[in-house]
Amino acid sequence: MTREIEKKLRDAVRELLEKGTIDRIVGYEAGSLKFSTTPLITSNKADVDRLVINPFTHSNLSVFLRDLCGKVGIVAKGCDARSIISLIQDRQIARKDVFVIGAPCGGVIDLAKVEKLTGLDRDEVDDIVWQGEKAAITFAGSTQKFSAKEVLADSCLGCDPSDFKECDMLIGEIEPIVGGKELGQDRIREMEAMAPAQRWEFWKKEFSRCIRCYGCRQVCPACFCDRCFVEETEPRWISPLPKWQDNLIFQVVRMMHVAGRCTNCGECERICPANIPLGSLTKKMEEIVDELFQYRAGTDKDAPPLMAAYQPDELEDLMR
Amino acid sequence: MNNSEPKIVAFCCNWCSYAGADLAGTSRMQYPANLRIIRVMCSGRVNPVFVLKALRVGADGVLVLGCHPGDCHYLTGNYRTRRRLSITMKFMEYMGIEPERIQVSWCSASEGSRFAEVVTEVTADLKRISPNRLFND
Repeated sequence: MTREIEKKLRDAVRELLEKGTIDRIVGYEAGSLKFSTTPLITSNKADVDRLVINPFTHSNLSVFLRDLCGKVGIVAKGCDARSIISLIQDRQIARKDVFVIGAPCGGVIDLAKVEKLTGLDRDEVDDIVWQGEKAAITFAGSTQKFSAKEVLADSCLGCDPSDFKECDMLIGEIEPIVGGKELGQDRIREMEAMAPAQRWEFWKKEFSRCIRCYGCRQVCPACFCDRCFVEETEPRWISPLPKWQDNLIFQVVRMMHVAGRCTNCGECERICPANIPLGSLTKKMEEIVDELFQYRAGTDKDAPPLMAAYQPDELEDLMR
Repeated sequence: MNNSEPKIVAFCCNWCSYAGADLAGTSRMQYPANLRIIRVMCSGRVNPVFVLKALRVGADGVLVLGCHPGDCHYLTGNYRTRRRLSITMKFMEYMGIEPERIQVSWCSASEGSRFAEVVTEVTADLKRISPNRLFND
């Protein structure tokens, strides 16, 4: 099945490059580690056979678009496709300069969860394939099936992949919502069940681990400022020392900046070397934006960016 | 209830609320002396990081004041403030900050009494909750 999709993708991309419809392609190739994938950016037709589509293509490739010139073809999952629309809304890229190859996915597999389930290192797991709604994992000489919830990345739970817009081509079929919308909200509800002071203590503990590597910022397609506020020195908004207070302020302000742009792709959480549950923040921001403005990031390329628009009579109940 | 006097940082827009504060002063209206006013050209200038920085360096609460919706000197500045700070308030509540600590209100240049009223209310709100120790180690 997967092979067939890959063949379809490779043939399509080869044709696009030959015809000159696109100058280069941004896609995924197999990484050096087992079950890993890494971005492939090429204009060479010979490289096309390295393209892959599988449940491990976690990167949000739209982060590269601002830096690439010419007409760029890009392989996009549902969340990535919305990030691309969001970048068009913000005038960071032009619609005519991208050729979006939609690759609907049923969610990406979180290898940390697989390691926990099997009790093995990812190198020792033999195979992971989708069989209907279950993931079949072969390890230690036998195959076991696990539900989507057990193996998928948290950000993929409750993802609604149906609003695939602005795709110039679609490879594969659009999958249904993984496990229902509520599944993704579980972690927010858990957090809200805590008292406010407890929540603050929780985040204090989490952010005391942050080493300020700024990986979350670099990997985020919505974080496109040429100069980030954390690097400003006059005035200096946050101390250069990685104290938890400043780590927290950095992340909170980053969330404000990506409000209405963040498509909850989960890359910031995946990249975090300190395993800070940033997905709980992005998911909450998505919910706030939906609740206050009935707005979903990256669904309409012609709509103004959320924070650049207004309604004369809104939100007055929140003002004193 | 606590006995300490809360410190409040207020961002007032140049055209309406700062003039409103001025009017409250020249009319000799009484209001709590807990306010430290920072004048900005428009409430739309207020970046969420200003609010957090104020709390970080020891303010107990932050009050952002702008012109009434529709009266902005720059036409739409306060509409943008309203969107931006609404998500800031909602999000900080999720993080675990008391909602009283970040407040937004509107006050025109002729509303000296309203200015005094809002400041009195916000001060009372902040006296009710404990002093800001959020960013203490």
